[in-house]
Amino acid sequence: MKSQQALNILLGIYICIFFTYLFGPLVIMSITAFNSAEFPSVTPWECFSFRWFNEGKIAYDGQHLAGLATDWRLHEGLITSLKIGLGVVLLSVPIGLSAALVLTQVHSRFRTAFYSISIMPVLFPGVIIGISTVVLWDRIATMGGGGLATQLGRNGVFLTILAQTCFISTYCFLIFVARLQRFDQTQEEAALDLGASQTQVFFKILIPYMMPAIASSCVIAFLASFENYNTTVFSILSDQTLTTVIASKVRLGISPAISSLALVIILITLTVTIAYEVLRRREDAKKREIEADALYTQTLDSRLKKVDKNTFSIPKPIFGILFVIIICIFGFNKLVEKEIYGSACIAATEKEKKSNFAEQLKLLQKNADKASQTSSENGDTDQKKEFGDIFGDPDLFKNFGGFDTKKKDAP
Amino acid sequence: MNYFFNKNGPLISTYLIISIGFWLVFLIIVPQLYMFDLSFRPNIPTLLRGGPDDVYTLVHYKHFLFGSETSGERYNYVDVGVFLDTILIAILITLINLCFCYPIAFYIAKVATAKTARLLIVSLIIPFWINELLRSFALRILFAGEGFINNVLIKIGLINSGINFIAMDVALYTGLNYAYILLMIFPLYNAIETLDKNQLEAAEDLGSSMIRTHFRIVIPHAKAGIASGCTMVFMLTAGALATPVVLSSPNTFWFTQLIYQWFNMNDNWPRGAAYSVVLLTVSVVFVLLMMRIFKVKIGEIVR
Amino acid sequence: MSADVELQNVSVAFGNFYAAKDVSVKIEKGEFFSFLGPSGCGKTTLLRAISGFSEPSDGIILIGNQDMAGIGPNKRPTSLIFQNLALFPLMSVADNIAFSLEVRGSGRVQRRKRADELLELVALSGQGDKNVHELSGGQRQRVAIARALAIEPAVLLLDEPLSALDLKLRQKMRTELREIQKRVGITFIYITHDQGEALTMSDRIAVMNEGELEQVGSGHNVYEAPHTPFVATFVGENNAFYGTVSSTEGNMVKVSSHRNNFLAKAGHLSEGKKHTFKKNDEVIMFVRPESIFLKDQNNQADNIFTAEFKTIEFEGNLKNIYLSIDGKQNVRCSISNAVETSDLSTSGSVELKFSSRDAVVLPIGPLAVD
Repeated sequence: MKSQQALNILLGIYICIFFTYLFGPLVIMSITAFNSAEFPSVTPWECFSFRWFNEGKIAYDGQHLAGLATDWRLHEGLITSLKIGLGVVLLSVPIGLSAALVLTQVHSRFRTAFYSISIMPVLFPGVIIGISTVVLWDRIATMGGGGLATQLGRNGVFLTILAQTCFISTYCFLIFVARLQRFDQTQEEAALDLGASQTQVFFKILIPYMMPAIASSCVIAFLASFENYNTTVFSILSDQTLTTVIASKVRLGISPAISSLALVIILITLTVTIAYEVLRRREDAKKREIEADALYTQTLDSRLKKVDKNTFSIPKPIFGILFVIIICIFGFNKLVEKEIYGSACIAATEKEKKSNFAEQLKLLQKNADKASQTSSENGDTDQKKEFGDIFGDPDLFKNFGGFDTKKKDAP
Repeated sequence: MNYFFNKNGPLISTYLIISIGFWLVFLIIVPQLYMFDLSFRPNIPTLLRGGPDDVYTLVHYKHFLFGSETSGERYNYVDVGVFLDTILIAILITLINLCFCYPIAFYIAKVATAKTARLLIVSLIIPFWINELLRSFALRILFAGEGFINNVLIKIGLINSGINFIAMDVALYTGLNYAYILLMIFPLYNAIETLDKNQLEAAEDLGSSMIRTHFRIVIPHAKAGIASGCTMVFMLTAGALATPVVLSSPNTFWFTQLIYQWFNMNDNWPRGAAYSVVLLTVSVVFVLLMMRIFKVKIGEIVR
Repeated sequence: MSADVELQNVSVAFGNFYAAKDVSVKIEKGEFFSFLGPSGCGKTTLLRAISGFSEPSDGIILIGNQDMAGIGPNKRPTSLIFQNLALFPLMSVADNIAFSLEVRGSGRVQRRKRADELLELVALSGQGDKNVHELSGGQRQRVAIARALAIEPAVLLLDEPLSALDLKLRQKMRTELREIQKRVGITFIYITHDQGEALTMSDRIAVMNEGELEQVGSGHNVYEAPHTPFVATFVGENNAFYGTVSSTEGNMVKVSSHRNNFLAKAGHLSEGKKHTFKKNDEVIMFVRPESIFLKDQNNQADNIFTAEFKTIEFEGNLKNIYLSIDGKQNVRCSISNAVETSDLSTSGSVELKFSSRDAVVLPIGPLAVD
């Protein structure tokens, strides 16, 4: 028994470590969003600020480091992503539903084959789905001779919707299959027997039954589409979605604006998850109550009789919320005390940095010379770019924010 | 067929047939076949397609194995090397993930109370829904030259100057591990969850040791979950693009990045298609291997 | 509104397997008719053929003298009550009941009115707004009946609807079902494997085995005059005495079995026609346990035999005594609890008797196995 306890403690420690591993990077990333420094970091801490959520910052060389609110590429990417997500939901949910329905009707001899083909897209690497869609549609566009087919075949949003629908339909399919497995088929028969036509059975019995699955597959299809990169990066052609914008930003240099974007997404996810969980618990509780009532009225077993409790108890989550609020107030107080919050602090550090700027420029020039030297020697400039002092990288600033003229990757 | 129409009525039947036909034929089968076909074509401008030069050729596969004719190397060490690296590391990461996740999945499924389990699962789902790019970005912040880890290590005096985690590929491997770890937990959890707790108690009652119980009872029971988790993690790791884009060092390539290069930088679509076919073949072989080793059906792998 | 149902040589085959084979029966208008048989005997298949969910591979089904071939279940004048009831869990009770009106395009008010009427019929007034899973088992049963009756079908088909209920409720529902049937006056076709249900409710019973009809008749007829050994043993308990015919005398047959000579009446081959036996025919003589009595001075019977006492079983109102003749032929006799039996356990052999009127001789055939 004792060894069992020791084991459980070990397991508990392990789980703590695991969750730290899972959440630690996200938490640190979230914190960096509030550091005014250009490089997303916790230490050294410059100033507490919301600049990366708002306007960003004008760097010393005049380049604009866009903040979340001012980055038009992010905004356009977001709108494209939303469009694509909507299109994917509209296509993949009906497709997944129909595939799941047909699976229940298909002759058992073909069932395995049908099922295998249907789940294949999930097993394909995402890049391959993107590529195959693009090459096929390029061919169609060429053959289309300038008509509608050509327009569609060269439209990145359209191709991305198709490519994503290919595998997201499988997600929906799997959700529907799971729900249909618990469907009592006699209900369909009962409805038929009561005079409903097949179409009526579909809309009055099957669809209401599938409604929860439809809702969840809509959400999942949208999220999967929204966060997809591997497929999208090929099929989007010359357009940009949120993920491809993020990717090109991250690849070229990292900015706290991305941290702030991540934080916003994390908060949205958190809110939705918590809201869903609360609703679900409430529903569960209600269901249990109804069932208990029904059981009591049926059996009149005195043990099941409900005793009304009049004691009022404070719901537990309130303590959690209070705790967070107190921590926030305390932390904020500390920030103000140490004068590392707000525009005054930022101005101070800016000034300090600007005084170093001449020095930095010299360094910059030296590095650039060295870089061109080495490149002429072995033709490889990328070696040193990734690591170290960001001021040492001559290309970096212009790729940070909104106004660069990056060459598009389009074929 | 007649039966099908009778059962669904004309309207619904039409809907079912059109949507499934569209999906299976137009989105799944035809693009893959066309890509397969393209991988055997020479890289010629669109205008010459269908012309006399458009003949089947193995040139792209040859290039993958032996490199360009101008290079003096016997084999295409770079590309094959990247390919083998990708596969080996993907397998390694899969195994590490499996070892990492098994205790967690077991804890949630069998040890924790229902309420705790629910809480843990929800908190596992949250990071799962955050974009893979952003999760990689979080690691990049940690591992960067002036990043969190280096700063902490310097502060406590373990090292003098920053370690280049990115160039050492530590960042990349951690990132790949981090990205898909949840896809290992959920299948394992689902599989272990169905195990009757009485079986564990019976094994204990019969004097089986903890470890033996796991190897003789829990793992055999969860083999479908293990197969499923391993397949998903391997597939996603080998086919990952987002994480390598963010975390790989400039001189390390992931195989998908090679494909990306042939497509978008070098504009050689047939060669990109050929490399894709290679990746796809590996994926299919891996799935079949998993089905063989664990003796599970394909339906048990993808759920 | 009620209609008769006629099956003419109906067979239903799944590949090579005949779930129902060459079934011909005519069910009269307004009759409570039961198909009784063990599970897997094809009775549910027949019911599905009548309601239109499967097409017979051979034969004709007539409802109200109209051929039902090619008419889907939603176009037939039948309503089916499913074994699991198949109530729609996402609809309220009233919506469930009025579903058949809804799909025919009736207005909301009209539907509600009809639902309330039917709820009254099945004694559930005022429960229309409840959710289905708030009801008890028996209430759900009644909702299912009300739902099936909403469009006033000519024939109501019931597929073992009581099997999910516990014993007391089941007995209560039997009476209720019978009453509802009398009130609405339509044809009920009832499927069951429970002979008690069939005997108590039905006007006539069709006993089925392995896809074929064994016997059609009233409850009395089936119980008292079984046509086959299967019916004799499936409906109620029976003692089967294996033996040979030693002589025949009109409708009476002398059977020699295990050193005893019994007198019994010849069983029926079909309605109104009796089996004829020759000397040395191998036969089975059936005597119900409740027709065998302990011998005493008061009343005489034409068959008397002795058997060794084995054990006695107390069943409440009855006592079952198990005996055997020569250790080969098991005999079971059921007597009222009021009869004194305390001396039985001490005496090794017991004298028993039964009347030749209660014994039926049939040719050898398969018995119903429990």
